[in-house]
Amino acid sequence: MTRGFAVSLLLMLGGMVLAFGWHVAVGAKVVPLGTVFEALTAYDSSIFDHVIIVDLRLPRAVYAVLVGASLAVAGALMQGMTRNPLAEPGILGLLTGASFAVVMTIGFFGLLSPAWTPLVAAIGASVTAVLVWAVAAAAPGGSTPLTLVLSGAAITAFLGAFTALANLLDQESFEALRVWLTGTLTGRSPALLWWSLPWITGGMLIAFAIARQVTALALGDETAVGLGVHVARLKALAMLSVIALTAASVSIAGPMGFVGLVIPHVARMFVGADYRLIVPFSAGLGATYLLLVDIAARLVLAPIEVSTGIVTVILGAPFFVWLVRARL
Amino acid sequence: MTTIVLNRFDGRLSLRLQSRALWLSAILLGALVAITATSLMSGSYPLSVSAVWETLFASAPSDMAETVVWQFRFPRTLVAALAGALFGLSGAILQNVTRNPLADPSLVGVSQGASLAVVAIIVVYPDVNPALRPLFAFGGALAVAALIQSIAMQRGGEATMRFILTGIGVAAFIAAVTSAMLTYGNIDQAQSALGWLAGSIHAVGWTEVWSLSLCLAILVPVLIWAARYMSVLRMGAEVAMGLGVPVRFARIGLITLSVALAAFAVAAVGPLGFVGLVAPHLARRIAQAGVGQHLVLTALTGAVMVASADIIGRTAFAPIQIPAGILTAILGVPVFLFLIIKQNHNRQL
Repeated sequence: MTRGFAVSLLLMLGGMVLAFGWHVAVGAKVVPLGTVFEALTAYDSSIFDHVIIVDLRLPRAVYAVLVGASLAVAGALMQGMTRNPLAEPGILGLLTGASFAVVMTIGFFGLLSPAWTPLVAAIGASVTAVLVWAVAAAAPGGSTPLTLVLSGAAITAFLGAFTALANLLDQESFEALRVWLTGTLTGRSPALLWWSLPWITGGMLIAFAIARQVTALALGDETAVGLGVHVARLKALAMLSVIALTAASVSIAGPMGFVGLVIPHVARMFVGADYRLIVPFSAGLGATYLLLVDIAARLVLAPIEVSTGIVTVILGAPFFVWLVRARL
Repeated sequence: MTTIVLNRFDGRLSLRLQSRALWLSAILLGALVAITATSLMSGSYPLSVSAVWETLFASAPSDMAETVVWQFRFPRTLVAALAGALFGLSGAILQNVTRNPLADPSLVGVSQGASLAVVAIIVVYPDVNPALRPLFAFGGALAVAALIQSIAMQRGGEATMRFILTGIGVAAFIAAVTSAMLTYGNIDQAQSALGWLAGSIHAVGWTEVWSLSLCLAILVPVLIWAARYMSVLRMGAEVAMGLGVPVRFARIGLITLSVALAAFAVAAVGPLGFVGLVAPHLARRIAQAGVGQHLVLTALTGAVMVASADIIGRTAFAPIQIPAGILTAILGVPVFLFLIIKQNHNRQL
C-alpha cells in the first residue's frame, strides 16, 4: 500500500467518474456536462434534458458500471483460482450457459419474472461450469488452459445450436430476446436491476473477503495448503461468487464476452499479483471499460447502435490472441 | 485383415487396399443411395419408391412429381452430400497436416472467414452475382487461414496448441464483426444472410450442384497427388524432412487445399460446424486404412452425415425446416468432447 498505489487508485476513480459523466452526456442529443451535473444534483422534471439524463441515460450508465465490475471481478477470480490466464466467464461457457437457461425458461414457460431471472441464469451458469470442468478434468493431462478453452468452446457451440433451434421453433417468443443475446445495455426493465443487485452485492462481498486467500491459491494448490488455506472451501466460495456475478450481469445485459478476460490482466499490470488489489482494481477498471465501450457502441456507427456485447468481443478477441501468443 | 495389392506397369502404379475398408466404402455408398432415395420420397408431397424411380429414369407420373424431384429435392440432396464430402476432406487434411486431432475448419476460423466475406458481400454489395460467392468465400477463408498461421507459427514450441487457441480467438473476433455487419445492414439482406449463416441447404439449385461437382473434380486429383506428402507429414516435420519432403511448401499447399475445400462448401451451404472434425475420426474408427483409402471413407462419411442431417432437419419438425448446421453441431459436439477426453496421451497437441 504505497504512494504509487494511492495515486493509481485516485487515477482509476477519477477515470471512472469522467467516463460516467461522458457516458451520460453523449448520445443522440448531446447534453453539456454542466447540465448533466445539474440534472443529478438539482433535478427539475420540467427541463427536457434533465428527463433524458435521469430516466434514460442514467440507468444505462448504472447498468454498464455494475455489469463491467461484476464480469471483471468474476474473470479475476477465475484466473486466480484456475491459474489459467485465459479463464473468463465467456470463454469457459458460463455466459452462454446462463443466457441459454434464461432463453429456454422464457421459451417454455412464457414470461420469466425479473425476480427469478438471476436464479435461472445462476443455475444455467453452474451446470455449464460443472460440465466444462468435468470434461477438461477428465482429459489426459487434466484441466490445462487448452482443454478448458476447448471444452468451453464446444459447449458454447452446443448450447448455441439449441438456442438457434428453439428460436426457429417459436419465433415470436424469441424475437424479443435476439438483441439481448448479443449483449446489450438498452431497454432492460428497472425491476431486473433491483432483483440482480443482491446477487452482485453478495458476489462482490465474497470476492473481497476471499481475495487475500486467492493470492495464495494463485501460487499453487500445495503452496496454498502450506500457507494454511482451506483449498476446497476457498474454491467453492470463489465459484459461488463467480456464478452470482455472472448470473446477475447476464440477467441485466445478456452475454458480454471477453470483459472478464481483458480487465484482470490490465489490473495486474497496475498493481501486481496481490488479489487484495486486483479485485477492487478489476471492479473499477471493468466499470470504466464498459462505460467507454458502450459510448463507442453508440457513437461509431451513429445513428445505428451496435450491440455492446459485439464491441466487447471485437476488442477482447485480439487481446485473447495476443495472450495466447505471449503467454503460452 | 486382408490386404489386396494391385500392381501395374512394373510397379509404377501400385495400390495396397484393405478389404475391410473397401467393404465399408461400398456400404457407405449404399447408405448414401438409400438416404438419397428417402430424401426424394419424403416431404410435404410424399412419393412412392416407384414414382421416384419413374421420375428419375423414365417419364414422371405427374408434373408435380417432376417439379418436386428435379427442381427441389434432388439438387438439395446432392448439394448436401457433396458439401459433406468437401467438409470431411477439408477436416481430414487439416488434422493430418497440423497433426492435431481436434482441428476443424469451423473451429479454427476458416469457416468464419468465408462467412464474413459472404455476409459482407450480401450486405454491402447486394447486387453482386451470387455465383461469385464461392470466390469471395475462398478469399476470406484464405486470408483468415494465413493470418492464423502467421500468428501461431512465429515462435517455436508447441505450435499446434497455439494454432487451435489462436483460431478460437480469431473466430470469435470475426463472428462479432459479422454480427455487427448484420446489425448495420438493411433488414431484408440481413434476413437472407442470417438464414445462410445457420447452415441451411434449403435454397440451393442445380447451380450449386455443378459448382460443387466442379470443385470436387478439380481438387480431388490434386488431393490424390498430395496424399503422399500428407502421409509423410503425419509422422512429423523432422521425419518428413528426412524423407525429402519440402515441408514448408507441402504444409502451405495442403492447408490451402483444405481451405479451398471448406470455402467452396461454405459458399454453397453456409458454415456447417463439426462435420470436418467428426467425419475423419468416424472413418478412422470404422476401418484401419492408408491415407488414400481413409480420405475416400472420410468423404463418404461426411456425405452421409450432412445428407442425413438435411433430411432429418426438414422432416422432423415439418413444416419448420431445421438448418442442417444446427443438427451437425448438436451431433458433433458430444463427439468432440469425447475426443478431448479420449485423446491419446502421447499425441502432440
